Amino acid sequence: MSAPPRLRDDQGLFWGLIAAPEGVRRGLEALVGRGAARPGDLDALIVDDERLSSFDRLDIYANMYFFRLLDCLKEDYPRLLEALGPARFHNLVTDYLLVHPSSHPSLRYVGTRLADFLAGHAIGRECPGLADLARLEWARADIFDAADARPLTRADIAALPQDTAGEMRLALVPACRLLRLEHDAPRAWRELKERADGRAGDTGAAGGAGAACAHGEGDHADPLPRIARRPTTARVWRHGFAVHHRSIDDDEIDSLEGLGAGDSLGVIAQRLSAGRTPERATARLGALLQGWIEDGLIAAAPTG
Amino acid sequence: MAIAPDRISRPPSLGHGVGLRRDHFERVLSAPTRIDWFEVISENFMVEGGKPRDVLTRVRERYPVVLHGVSLSIGSTDPLNEDYLAALKELAARVQPAWVSDHLCWAGVGGHYAHDLLPLPYTEEALAHVVARVHRVQERLGRAIALENVSSYVSYRRSAMPEWEFLSEVARRSGCGILLDVNNIYVSARNHGFDARAYIDGVPVDAVWQFHLAGHSDKGDFLLDTHDHPVCDPVWDLYAHAVRRFGPVSTLIEWDDRIPAFERLEEESERARAIASVVVAGGAAVAGGAAVA
Repeated sequence: MSAPPRLRDDQGLFWGLIAAPEGVRRGLEALVGRGAARPGDLDALIVDDERLSSFDRLDIYANMYFFRLLDCLKEDYPRLLEALGPARFHNLVTDYLLVHPSSHPSLRYVGTRLADFLAGHAIGRECPGLADLARLEWARADIFDAADARPLTRADIAALPQDTAGEMRLALVPACRLLRLEHDAPRAWRELKERADGRAGDTGAAGGAGAACAHGEGDHADPLPRIARRPTTARVWRHGFAVHHRSIDDDEIDSLEGLGAGDSLGVIAQRLSAGRTPERATARLGALLQGWIEDGLIAAAPTG
Repeated sequence: MAIAPDRISRPPSLGHGVGLRRDHFERVLSAPTRIDWFEVISENFMVEGGKPRDVLTRVRERYPVVLHGVSLSIGSTDPLNEDYLAALKELAARVQPAWVSDHLCWAGVGGHYAHDLLPLPYTEEALAHVVARVHRVQERLGRAIALENVSSYVSYRRSAMPEWEFLSEVARRSGCGILLDVNNIYVSARNHGFDARAYIDGVPVDAVWQFHLAGHSDKGDFLLDTHDHPVCDPVWDLYAHAVRRFGPVSTLIEWDDRIPAFERLEEESERARAIASVVVAGGAAVAGGAAVA
């Protein structure tokens, strides 16, 4: 099924103009400058009238294109928005969409590459921790609709044969990720949330237009937050339908990675015994296991 | 093998529904509603797990559901997205919707998506292109689909026929159904200066599976299809005209921004129900009759 050539050309011009970052008129000038269009191409394509020119009409689509994607990214990256302020966030998204227009049928994935893009962007170079903050937010968005699995309860674990507990293998539910970061993004996330919640409390209804406008005034002058450079591993997970994250220590990192790799509880306890008595290692594993069960992280290991 | 147009018939009316939105998940599941059925945005539920998927499963246990997509991009000159079609087919197998719909438009090109409903030129070239792709989609999904007319802000110099003729021809040649958005007809009629009633009168009766009703915003020089207001009186009048022509057709209220309490949506839906029942009771559904507002 080959594409009809005139329709293909029409759609190419239409797309090139609505995705142009500075509007349809300047977008056409840029295309003409590159020899990719002629000055009269839009007028030849679109009907104008006494109310609206062909440029005005296509600008309606150009605005909707940008603001729909901007709104989606604001929902996926609320703490990054809080950190940057609306104007800087707007400019970042403008630059991002120019390089990474949406390539998935669902809006859900439009922010997939924002963290990596931010790392190489001027804003990200000025405050390197922001890319890690974005990674944390994207992991949270990913976990929100990750695959379901029934987590094991304490009763499930107790019902397993205890005399061979050391050989027992468990698995992590699909809605759990370990995120290795170079900065303490979880702390920044919490502080930015408190700041946003505090302002929402000051101004009345959370998320109202008033709150957004109040923040928008002069936000270019606001300093970027300082996010401590401190290697941090965050566990991001979903319990029920709520997404959580928290920083975890080396014991938990090693143990969760071992669990995910299919290690038995005995092997994990052995690793925890470095610098500990076997009893203390077993107790440490027991405490970790109890926390994981309470957080709904543990699933039965795949069979076969 | 393409689905033969003569094997596809108009489904029975589901009654009066509303679009299921996140703001209303708890309300819909926690108590009875005055709503007969729900429509969901397909792409929002093409996910592996979590709350949206769970909510849809529970809503489907209680109500008929229609899957309404926004990214099929049936008019794009890009190849059809096979991954998308596979995900849609999987979703339909899981949800068992009354039917599956999308829009008569293109949504992107060059591998990119605008996440918008971009209008087509109404030419023979575009018509043949769309019909071939509808056949392909219906074959892939194993079911006929319905396509919706979109609100538009541009029209093409190249167009050789009115939109309603293009829409009707797509349905006639491919066997797909028509989801007639009455608000979109009104918005586009105002934006391009055509007669909204002539549009409705130009669409074949048996092809229309569903109506959409929604609110829009008046931007002065044009109307914008914002789905953030109640349905306005001229659109209610147009809806009565449509019921008069097409009879009792599944009708859905869309409200996607500045979303009110669920009870407000129920009121809109009840208003549609009242208008439709008066028109139908008047025995003038197809033959024409007095205006109902």
